[in-house]
Amino acid sequence: MKTVIKSSDKFQHVLVLCGWFGGWWLLVELLNVSKDFLPNPLEVAQRMITLTYDPLGAGNLFVHAQASSIRLLSGFGAALVLGVPLGLLMAYSRVLNWIVSPIFELFRYVPPIAWAPFALFWFGAGNSAQAYVIFTSAFPPILINTFLGVKLIDQNLLNAAASLGARTWTVMTEVALPAAFPLIMTGVRIGLAGGWMALIAAEIVAGTGTRDGLGYLILQGQMQLHADLTIGAMAFISVIGVALDFVLRRVETHFATWKA
Amino acid sequence: MKLKSSTIQNIFSFGSVGMMLAAWWAITSMGLIRPLILPSPTDVVNGVIDIWNGYLGVPFWNHFTASLSVMLIGYFSAAAIGVSMGVAMAWVPLLDKIFSPLISAMRPIPPPAWIPLTILWFGIDLSAKVFIVFVAAVVPCVLNSYQAIKNVPPDLMNAGRSLGAKNTTLLFEVVIPSGLPVILGGMRIALGTAWATIVAAELVVSLAGFGFLIMNGYRNLESNIVFCGMLAVSMVGFLMNMAFVRISRRVVPWAAEKK
Amino acid sequence: MSDSNDLLYEDVCMDFESASGVIRALDPFSFQAQPNEFVVIVGPSGCGKSTLLHITSGLTNPTSGRVLLGGEPILEPGPDKAIVFQNFSLFPWKTVYENIDFGLRINGMPTEKRQALIKDYIQLIGLNGFEKHFPRQLSGGMQQRVAIARSFVLQPRVLLMDEPFAALDAQNRQLMQEELVRIWQTQNPTVLFITHSVEEAVFLADRIIVMTRRPGRIKEVLRPIEHMKDASVHWRSLPYDDVIRRQDFQDLRAHVWQQVKSEIGDRH
Repeated sequence: MKTVIKSSDKFQHVLVLCGWFGGWWLLVELLNVSKDFLPNPLEVAQRMITLTYDPLGAGNLFVHAQASSIRLLSGFGAALVLGVPLGLLMAYSRVLNWIVSPIFELFRYVPPIAWAPFALFWFGAGNSAQAYVIFTSAFPPILINTFLGVKLIDQNLLNAAASLGARTWTVMTEVALPAAFPLIMTGVRIGLAGGWMALIAAEIVAGTGTRDGLGYLILQGQMQLHADLTIGAMAFISVIGVALDFVLRRVETHFATWKA
Repeated sequence: MKLKSSTIQNIFSFGSVGMMLAAWWAITSMGLIRPLILPSPTDVVNGVIDIWNGYLGVPFWNHFTASLSVMLIGYFSAAAIGVSMGVAMAWVPLLDKIFSPLISAMRPIPPPAWIPLTILWFGIDLSAKVFIVFVAAVVPCVLNSYQAIKNVPPDLMNAGRSLGAKNTTLLFEVVIPSGLPVILGGMRIALGTAWATIVAAELVVSLAGFGFLIMNGYRNLESNIVFCGMLAVSMVGFLMNMAFVRISRRVVPWAAEKK
Repeated sequence: MSDSNDLLYEDVCMDFESASGVIRALDPFSFQAQPNEFVVIVGPSGCGKSTLLHITSGLTNPTSGRVLLGGEPILEPGPDKAIVFQNFSLFPWKTVYENIDFGLRINGMPTEKRQALIKDYIQLIGLNGFEKHFPRQLSGGMQQRVAIARSFVLQPRVLLMDEPFAALDAQNRQLMQEELVRIWQTQNPTVLFITHSVEEAVFLADRIIVMTRRPGRIKEVLRPIEHMKDASVHWRSLPYDDVIRRQDFQDLRAHVWQQVKSEIGDRH
């Protein structure tokens, strides 16, 4: 959890991690439970590797990962496409803010997963319903952070641009958006994490309704009483979650090299 | 007569909500949309009455006890353990080395992902739900408390040390009070996560509670019941958040200045 | 163990590790401050004066060399070498009273004694009626007065001040300098005071140390009293507005400024 890691620290980190895996193994041996209840780390790894070539349900591990990713990207993409421009406009127009904010606040406290039934009523069983649930999770942080990001821009920056003769559209796209970028990216990262969470929740809650996806795998593990599948899928999900966040952070540093 | 800007703002705000409610009533009463897609205001009121009288044989107050009390048990244990752990890890480097990998590994797992495993281990009774809420709430508490202690302004620590504070005195009299705003921030996030997680857990399996209402309303194609469940969930979430903010302001009045 | 408040610096050096290697912040610094002397250090940014203060307070240990207070080496921080910071560093969750009470309480003084003492010190700094106020409700000058009282109430042998008035506006700064002299003269601890302001140094000091740029070394040591036309009373006991117009003051100020300016150089 430190930000600057020396190589000796990395080594210690790995060592401690091995210690925890060892402790897990020891616990399994001591408790002497069936591998369907608490498998040891090796059994979990084996199960996941088997899954890469031996299909379960709709396909192998990558088919499920792909299914989940598509749902995530559609819901998250919609949140991005709607959230950033709306946040920008709301920061610019007080009136628009006064109109939209109260409605937004009303819906904000509904947990994303609670939308699932209505999403199913509206879109039927399928990817759109789950994309909608993901959207409700990813949208608020993106909207709020874009709004704040623009609102908190030093007024002098905008004034300087305007006094150089830039028209509103230019100021918005060439000054406001870049200046607000760090905060927007934070909102995007939170939105992606939230969307990922909502996706898994939606796939699990949908229960027998889903045929594919990583949440489906977790559920299958529980229903078939195979903890190795469940735990393995959980681990895989967290790896993807970390990878997604990592990609976003790379994007952030790439575009914001001007920030110290 | 020039209106104050805050009055104008209120006019727009109430106006837009009012328009939305009016549109809702109009669309549903004109029969432009199936009740399944959007229940009418009357349907919703009937739903409330049904629930009050014991929807599916479940007494009204059971929903509150099921959802709220379970969540609160899980939440408070998570807060107590999580905050202590975060503070201890930030203060004692050895603890940090030992537990950081564990926290880092647990952190990216979405709380709902724990639901099936918990059911596998605990079955579907109370302890399972408490465990899930605990797992969901403990991570933000640990992380924020850790950051709060790590980010104490060095000059404040130095002032404490220079005045003669050492070790535990320094920790409890300077470092923890200084980090309290961030610790409370983490606890507020954890509260929201805990609430969303208990609802998700109840959607999967439950005998009472708001998630139960939403799920069974869905199964029986009674969108008005679902609506009532969603309404209750968001109202409780909103009230809890507001209460927390109020309490925060009393406990850490100096944090209001920093924005 | 001597009760004397003299400070002896024996070849104090400080090196820092950075990404680009080892940086020497302080070259061997040797100096003796007399008991109850008001010593001011001026110098360009980065000359190591803050580092010197931190070493003297015990918050940092020097890479080599040592500092002796009354013959005893300084190894760790404590109330006998209390430090006052530029940004006040008052505990925001504590009232004025509680801030000043803090050091007394954790060092074991019984409650009744503390109450009487704090009352006196609040009176001394002129903040009667503000005991229950929080730092955020006070102006910068008032906050700094509380910070000074918080350290001073512990009757330190050495009072360390790290550009304490730099965060105040010019008018408050001037008022606080006169305040500080008044408060200081009730106990007369040895003072080590750091500043960027040459006027401030010339006005306040018994001795001025001018530092070179990094790595910091002593460039010159002056005694303002030797430059005063009338040496029977130090000009810091006189109103600032009168002193600043005097020729002897301006001459000394110009000399010190010249010394500092030559250290700032063209790497500006």
